[in-house]
Amino acid sequence: MRLSGYEALFFWIFALAAIFAGLLTVMARNAVHSALFLISSLVSVAALFVLAGAEFIAGVQILVYVGGVMVLFLFVIMLVNVGAEEKGRDEIFNKQKQVAASLIFCFLLVAGVLYAVSEGYKGMQARNTTPPEQIAAQQAQRDRSLAVGATRTSRITDDTEQVGSSLYRYAALPFEIASVLLLVAIIGSVMLARTLKQEVSADDVDPETLQEEKALDPELAQLEPRSE
Amino acid sequence: MLNFFIPTLAFLFQQASGSRLSQTWDAATHPDLAKFLVIGALLFIIGVAGVLTRRNIIVIFMSIELILNAANLNFIAFSRYLQETGNANAVAGQIFTVFVIVVAAAEAAIGLGIVIALYRNKETIWVDEIDLLKW
Repeated sequence: MRLSGYEALFFWIFALAAIFAGLLTVMARNAVHSALFLISSLVSVAALFVLAGAEFIAGVQILVYVGGVMVLFLFVIMLVNVGAEEKGRDEIFNKQKQVAASLIFCFLLVAGVLYAVSEGYKGMQARNTTPPEQIAAQQAQRDRSLAVGATRTSRITDDTEQVGSSLYRYAALPFEIASVLLLVAIIGSVMLARTLKQEVSADDVDPETLQEEKALDPELAQLEPRSE
Repeated sequence: MLNFFIPTLAFLFQQASGSRLSQTWDAATHPDLAKFLVIGALLFIIGVAGVLTRRNIIVIFMSIELILNAANLNFIAFSRYLQETGNANAVAGQIFTVFVIVVAAAEAAIGLGIVIALYRNKETIWVDEIDLLKW
């Protein structure tokens, strides 16, 4: 795969944007700033997905990550807001020795991964004997067979169609398992986020713990008798 | 003698550096699979650094999202590569990415539920103060 022309330009713009936004995510003092930088990083990566010809995944990325997961993150940041961090009183990183050790580890990981990528890519190129011109010609051939858009300047991709048919043809069972996983996650997060009062009124507290908590908070005793 | 050598050396040097420069320029203006993999690797390392160095558990979760996203980028890049060169199921990478996104969403929901429960009980989101499992 070789991008060229404006694709290459946009590749570099979005790649640098993704990496800078990722760095700022990790370095921002305020957790809300972190979340916003992460959103811009995710959007840049979605743009890279479009450049790699995965329009459907780019849309899913923006809808699910930016529209769903990040909003969840922002709500939780609001619920557990810690003022000391934002005012600069509290340290946002771990102790210096831990940070130094983990940064050394990360640099080693960078070196190892980059070496592995370059060596592996050389091997892949050696194995791949088709000349790039021929691949580009094949790609152009495939593009010509796509339907023309309404403006007649572009063609309509069939990526979504391919992903959809492939998802139900080859990955039907994992698809069902994923839906069960999401159900478990919904129920689990609802169970985890209940308050003690909600747990008491649902009669879901260990009797010993309940006695201890009642001694601390007499209001709980009023909630407890629940005859059905 | 000198009249002969200096222009020759200059020519050779120009040739060598010129070809290397044009190679670099060609590689930069035609990003290929390796560039995608490098970007994915850098995002992954940034995420790992965030997980290892930050104290705020919510930012650690965000770094995990960054790591998963880097893996997605690699899947998509290889999917495109296989579409052009291989005869494997060409959109397998994209399907895998869908599942990674599903698992990331489930993980975020559960993790943030744990964060809320933890904050109710311990009144802190600093990971070095959360040591319930230590004795």
